Formats: sequence, C-alpha cells, structure tokens
Amino acid sequence: MKDIFVLMEHRRGELRDISLEMLCGASQLGGNVVAVLLGSGVDSFAEKAAGYADKVLYVDDPMFENYNSEAYQKALSALIKEHQPGLVLIGNTAQGVDMAPALAVELGAPLVTDIIALEMEGDKPKPTRQFYGGKLNAHMTLKDAGMYILTVREATFQVGEPTKSGEIVKVENPVKEEITYRKFVEYVEPEVGEVDITQSTMLVGVGRGIREDKNLPIVEELAKVLGADLAASRAVVDAGWLPPDRQVGISGKTVKPKLYLAVGISGAFQHVTGMKGSELIVAINKDPDAPIFSIADYGIVDDLFKVVPKLTEKIKELKGA
Amino acid sequence: MSAEEISFIEKYDLLGCIQCGRCTGGCPVSMRTHLNVRRFMYDTQNEERLEELSERPEIWDCTTCYTCAARCPKGLEPLEVLIGLRSLQIEEGRIQPTVRDALESIFKDGNPWGSPRAKRLDWVGDLDVKVLEPEAEEVTDVLLFVCCTDAYDPRVMKVAQSLVKVLQAAGVDFGIIGEDESCCGSEVRRLGEEGLFEMCDEENVELLNSFNVNRIVTISPHCYNTLKKEYHGLRHPVLHYTELVAQLLEDGKLTLNKEIGKVVTYHDPCFLGKQNSIYDEPRYIITRIPGVEFREFDRCRERSLCCEGGGGKMWVESESKAERLAEIRVTDAKEMGAEVIAVACPFCLLTLEDATKVRGIEEEMRVADILELLAEAL
Amino acid sequence: MNMIVCVKRVPDTAESEVHIDASGRDIDKSRLSFGINECDNYAVEEAIQIKEKLGGKVTVISLGGKENDEVIRMALAKGGDDAIRLDDPAFAGSDGFAVAKALAAAIKDLEYDIVFTGALADDDGYAVVPVALAELLGVPHATYVKDLEILEDGKRARVGRELEGGLMEYLEIELPCVLGIQTGINEPRYASFKGIKQAAKKEIVVKSAADLGLDPSEVGEAGSWAILEKFSVPEVGEMAEILQGDPEETAAKLAQILKEKGLI
Repeated sequence: MKDIFVLMEHRRGELRDISLEMLCGASQLGGNVVAVLLGSGVDSFAEKAAGYADKVLYVDDPMFENYNSEAYQKALSALIKEHQPGLVLIGNTAQGVDMAPALAVELGAPLVTDIIALEMEGDKPKPTRQFYGGKLNAHMTLKDAGMYILTVREATFQVGEPTKSGEIVKVENPVKEEITYRKFVEYVEPEVGEVDITQSTMLVGVGRGIREDKNLPIVEELAKVLGADLAASRAVVDAGWLPPDRQVGISGKTVKPKLYLAVGISGAFQHVTGMKGSELIVAINKDPDAPIFSIADYGIVDDLFKVVPKLTEKIKELKGA
Repeated sequence: MSAEEISFIEKYDLLGCIQCGRCTGGCPVSMRTHLNVRRFMYDTQNEERLEELSERPEIWDCTTCYTCAARCPKGLEPLEVLIGLRSLQIEEGRIQPTVRDALESIFKDGNPWGSPRAKRLDWVGDLDVKVLEPEAEEVTDVLLFVCCTDAYDPRVMKVAQSLVKVLQAAGVDFGIIGEDESCCGSEVRRLGEEGLFEMCDEENVELLNSFNVNRIVTISPHCYNTLKKEYHGLRHPVLHYTELVAQLLEDGKLTLNKEIGKVVTYHDPCFLGKQNSIYDEPRYIITRIPGVEFREFDRCRERSLCCEGGGGKMWVESESKAERLAEIRVTDAKEMGAEVIAVACPFCLLTLEDATKVRGIEEEMRVADILELLAEAL
Repeated sequence: MNMIVCVKRVPDTAESEVHIDASGRDIDKSRLSFGINECDNYAVEEAIQIKEKLGGKVTVISLGGKENDEVIRMALAKGGDDAIRLDDPAFAGSDGFAVAKALAAAIKDLEYDIVFTGALADDDGYAVVPVALAELLGVPHATYVKDLEILEDGKRARVGRELEGGLMEYLEIELPCVLGIQTGINEPRYASFKGIKQAAKKEIVVKSAADLGLDPSEVGEAGSWAILEKFSVPEVGEMAEILQGDPEETAAKLAQILKEKGLI
C-alpha cells in the first residue's frame, strides 16, 4: 500500500486537533503515515506529529506562517508529485475546504469532502459522508485513480497516545515565487459581548424551533430561573435574534458547561461540535428523529412552547422549596 | 414611476380627503406610536414624497383595524394608503427579515410560519376528520377552512381541535382540505404584497371551488373577511364559525351540559366586528354556556380596542416601547372582574394571552377562544 | 463590476422528515418544498449590493431543469440582469466537481470580475464548487466569505473568511476571482411576487452540455469524482433517555433530575 499523506493544520501558534485526529485515523488504514507540515519555525509541531506518524515532511518557511490556500496548494502538489502517496487526508475545516478542491482539480485526483467514516477496499477508500444536514449517511464510491483526496470532519477519529517516532525530514520549500494574487492580511477576533458563554456553567441553547425572536422571553425566563446564560444555533444568530457571541458550533464558540439545555435545536453537526463536550446535555424538541437526541443524556419529545414554561415553573418550585 | 404615482392619488381618492382628522382621532395605535394617518392622507398627495414616506417606520404600525375607515365622513379608507406605501417597500425588497421570511414561506409552503406543508395536518392528532376530495360526487355540508395559525401554532391548534369536537357533537357533516390548504393571504395583502395576494386569491378560489360543499366555515375572522370580501369568483357562501355555531345552538343541535362557572368578557376581533358587523353571534354563544356570567368591556362592539395582532403585525416589531394595546385590554378585563377573556380570532388569542404574561396575571386571567369554552362545556 | 452568481435549487429538509426512496440513492421529494440554497441567497444579495454601489451587471447561472427557473427569476427580480440555465440529462448525478466543470464551461467566455457561489449546499454539503471552479477558471478564490469590500482600485478585494470559533481571516485577493459566500454576510432582500413575474419576461438562456463544448463523459455521474452508492439512516448512538408524559410531567421529571444533579 502506498503512503498516506496527512496535512497538518495549525493556526496562530497552535497545532489544531484535527491534525493528530487524522494521523491516528490514517494509522488504522495500513500503509506509511506521512505528516506534511507547512509552517514557519514550528519544530514543536513536527515533534508532536512525529509521535503519531511514520515520517514528517516539514517545510519550514516564513511563507507558511499564516495559512494561504494558494501557497499550500503549490507546496502540497509539488510534494505529492515527488512522493506519490496513494491517499491524502486534509481537515474538512475552513482551511482545508479552501484548498482541497483546487488541489484535486490540479492533480486530477478524486476528492470526497467532509467524510465521517472511512474503510479501505485495497488501495481505494470507501468513505461515508452526510447529506441533508446529517439526516442521512451517504456511502460514496470514488472513481478509480492512482491517488485519492479526502477531507475529514473534525472529531471523526479519536486521538490516542503517541506510539510512533517518525523521522522528521526537513524539505526545501518547493514554492519559489511569491504569491501576489492572494495575501494574508490579519485575523480579527469576533466581538466579545457582555457574556462569555465559554465560561458559563449552564447554558440554554436556542434553535430555530423558537420560530420568532418575540418568543425568546420564554427561554430567557427559563435561563433566568436556572441561572444560565443563553446560547444559540447559527440560524438564530443569522436571523439576528441573538448576537454572534452567543453562537455555539463550528463557526461559533465551543462550550463545555455543566448543563447544556438545547431548546428547539435539531442538532446539526455544526452546532453539536461546539457543545457535545458539555457535562449534561438535555434536549427539548418536538421531532423525535432530531439528531440532538442521539447526543443528549435526557430528552423531551414535545412542543417547546408547552414544555419550557412548565419547566420554568417546576424549577421555580424546587428552588423555592 | 410617474404613472404609478398618479395612480396612487387616484387609487386612494386622496383628493377627497378633507383633513378632518377623524381617522387619526380614532386610530388606536396613535396612542402608542408616531403614526398619524391624517398626515399620510395629506402628504401622499405629493408624488415626489412617496418614496420618503414609504421609508417611515410607522407605516408598519398600522394594524389595519379599519377604525379610520369606519369613521371617515367621506367614505375613504386611510389604512389602504398605508398598505400602498408598504407595497412600495415590498417592491424594493426592503422589509423586515421576519416579514420577508413569512412571505417567502407563504410562497413556498403555503403558510407564514416557516413550516412544511407535510405538517399542515399535525393539529388533527387523534381526531377523526374527513379530508375532502376535489370534485367529489357526494355533497359535504361544511368545508372547514383552517387558518395557518390554527394549523401550526401549538397554542392555537387547540382552537381548531375544539371546533372539530363542537361540530362532531352537533352532528355537522364537515371536512377539511388537508395538506393542499394554503394561506388565505389576508396578512399578505395587508403587508402590501399585492402580487402574492393575487396568487393566493386565484389559487385558493380554484381550489375551494373544486369541492362539492354547501358552505365554507372559517375559524379566523381574517380568513373570513378575505374569502368573503376580497376573493374573486368564489362560488360557496362563507361563514365565520360564530355564525354557524350560533345557528346550531338556536336550532337545538348543540347541547351544552357542563358548567363553566366563570366571569367571562368578550373581546371583539376587528375583522369580525368593525369590518363585518358580527357582534351578536359571539355574545349569543357565550351567554348560552352554562354558568357563565357575562360582562362587557367598556370599549366593546364598534368601539372595541384593537389587540394589534392584524395588519401583518404578527411579523412586525414596533419601535414603540409604550404599553401595548393588548396589555391595556387585559388590564381593563381584570379591573372589571373578568376571569376569562373570550376571543374569536387566533391573533387576538395570541396577543392577549401574551399580554397576560407580560402583566404577570396569567394565573388569574385566562384567554380562551369561544370554541375552547364550548368544547369544555359539551 | 461584472458579476456572476451561481445558484442551486434545493429541497427544504430543515423541518421535514427525510425518507430514502426505492432506488436507495435518492430521497422521496414529493412532499418537500424547494427553494434557493441558503448560502446562494446571500451570494445573490452580495452581488446585487455591489452592483448598486459600483454599477455593473449580474448574471445568474443555475444548473438544472426548468423547475430552476423559479429561483433564477427570484434572483433576477432582486436585481439580476441576465440568466443562464445549464440543462442536460447528462448532468444528472453530478457531484461538486462535475457541477464546477459545467459552470466553468459556461463562465469561461463571459466577462467577469467576481464569480459568487454559496460556500456549501444545504442538500449534499460538498462545499466543493467555489474552490474547484476557481481552479478550473484559473483565478484566485476564497470560500466561507463573510465580509467583502472591493478596494478602491477595483482590481482587488479585501475578503473576510469565517474560520472555526468565529475568528475572521482577512486577506487581499486580486480580481477576477471566485468567492464562496457564507450565510450572515448581509441581509438578503425580498423578491416581490410582482418582481418575480416581471422577471419572467427576461430571457433565460438554456445551454446543453454540447452548447458548452462538454462531452457527456465529462459531466454528470460519469464526470464526477465520486458517486453516491447508497443512503442509510445514521445509526443513533446512545440515545437520550426520553422522559415520558405530558408537558406537566416531563417538565417535573426534568426539574427533578436537574435538582438531583445539583444544578438547581
């Protein structure tokens, strides 16, 4: 079996979790696992990756201090052409998705994005991904080719203990010319509001099921009685019903409160990613098939407009007692 | 543009306005917002100002209750001028996102609540209700036209369920349209989306005419008003449920056995009272419920205070922070010693019940549709 | 500023149950309503706002059958100028790559400064089209774009990409380029019914694979990177313990649980 390339992802001085997750996933497939690290002065990342990889290809160049999909694509395509891996794994992240399709087009390699499970049939991957916001799994068959590219959803693979000690091979930056048509400028932090939901001990998460912003008082009341803060799904923030700093999920905050009470949240992957680490998850949703119930500890399948006011009432009673 | 503006003056007969101010004098929302409808009757005569006027937020405060029109000595309909201004904003696409979503949902799924058509019958639950077939040979007496709010809003569903129980108790032969039922478009027209309303009119008339029924009964006064007065070519007579139920009681087909034992007042919905002069039937029904002590609001019948639920206001947030009319209404009810405010409109039900919560009197003041009281008294 | 917006018509499954059909490779769409893909709606708005500010032309492109005309007309009603629909039985079963190839073939001979697409599709979630399309056209790209400013020279743009955790990555990109738009970048306007009807008078140019110079083997399932073999219903992990009873009872049970866990 040919080598498996795994692209290391880092941002602002941190090696992102997805990198080691993919290395661990790749190790289960058979074949040499090669971590590809493009960065500037990130030796510690190379060492960390070496614990999970058979080899680390490390390009150390100021060009890679911040992510630039064009520079990444050029470097990666040169390394791939040189080393001829059979499979390339890239994070299905804002970085990975911004580059992988272009790389696949350039190299003529079949790509499947956002995979959540992976099996191999010889040299050929058989990935599973999701359609319709996670309501269905899709089993994909790739076209026959010499190399395949997959982008892997975060948390698809678990990170174990480092068991390898791969050789770290520093390679010269294959990209010689400066990229002028796309330049990194800066990072801008999301605005921080009055409440930092990442620090909250209890959160009431509000989803599309609330229907209108004028229905918010019923969850606000519940949150008040509980002493919890309000969090929101993307839909609620996009609608402007709650400010962006309340958003939980991939493009929002990752929260780990003692209690996450999901109200009218269906549990789309992008939201669940941000709150599944909560200690106790309770979901109230009228759709019994809502994916949120598969990660919740307790669920109530009923109309939130009926349950939430009752719950507020009951909590008030218990607090009074 | 100029052709449109000329038609604006003609369309609303603006030059007929004598600026007497009776419209603004009677306007319930002028108590709490900047809306001055008399000024709009004057200012919109200036074609060049139409765009600027249409951008004024207060045009969205109008609840289209019809008080201004009812009071106009010249027979004009000032509220229609405000709807006309809303139309200009609709055409520009510059509307509140909630209004946009409601209208898009009607276009896509036939209801303003963003719910799929496949869930339109969820309200039926375990009830045994006949779904009518178009062009059926057999005549069904009553086609029950279920308002979107009754079909999808979990609170208001109980009203539709109550109506089913009442009709079944009275042995009425009735059926519903089912998943193909679509929004009547009353709020669509009042939000100024004329084109979409025309679609509602055409499609619903064709659909409703395809059923072999004697009459159509609506739950919402808004549907009633629209089907009866604004549709073109509907061949079935349209009744509000209060008309049908009052008749059933009078004919002795509906017997009420259980005592309610409450002081009940009745809030006249604008679209039933002011706009369609149905005042007596609801009162007739309420006073026949055993154990009810009926008390009238001071502001009742023609003078009834609007709850601010109509005119598309379910989707428009007013900038005014002043006390809502619904809050005044529930306070009035409390002061006169009422325990139940009976309503006959889904919007009144939602706005008044909400007001009891805002006022913190939801424990002592119940808001219920007449149908719910009836179903309990069966 | 000449702009092209690619729009997709998708079934609305957010609040509906989804059932796999007899083929096992598609879903039963008979009870679903359809509309414009959510990100694409923001892409349309972004293009029209730029046109209103800087002038220019907006061309709407969609791949699909006649039923797509509705979403195209909606975009035209909002301010789009021209429309092209790519329609050919050979396009059936296209993945993101095959769609990008068809779009690239239609776009390559047009004059454009920016091609807008949605960042990802609500139905398949591939998120491939903007980036693959840019590569095929040979122009720079950025996706997950949630902020956009055309710089004064009109030859570059300052683009904000939304990363995990809500962090914004700003970059400068040369035009022409392809931008994959994320929801929330703007507030999409309403397309009035009258506007949509008037837009029906505008011609929608229909192009087949042959018109685009594409061989059937390059498009559709044949031209895709991957085909969908079959759907399955995701296995639910350990399901939540569902509290039974009416709202009164379930609320009481839940409150008790929260108390026992020391949360109240």
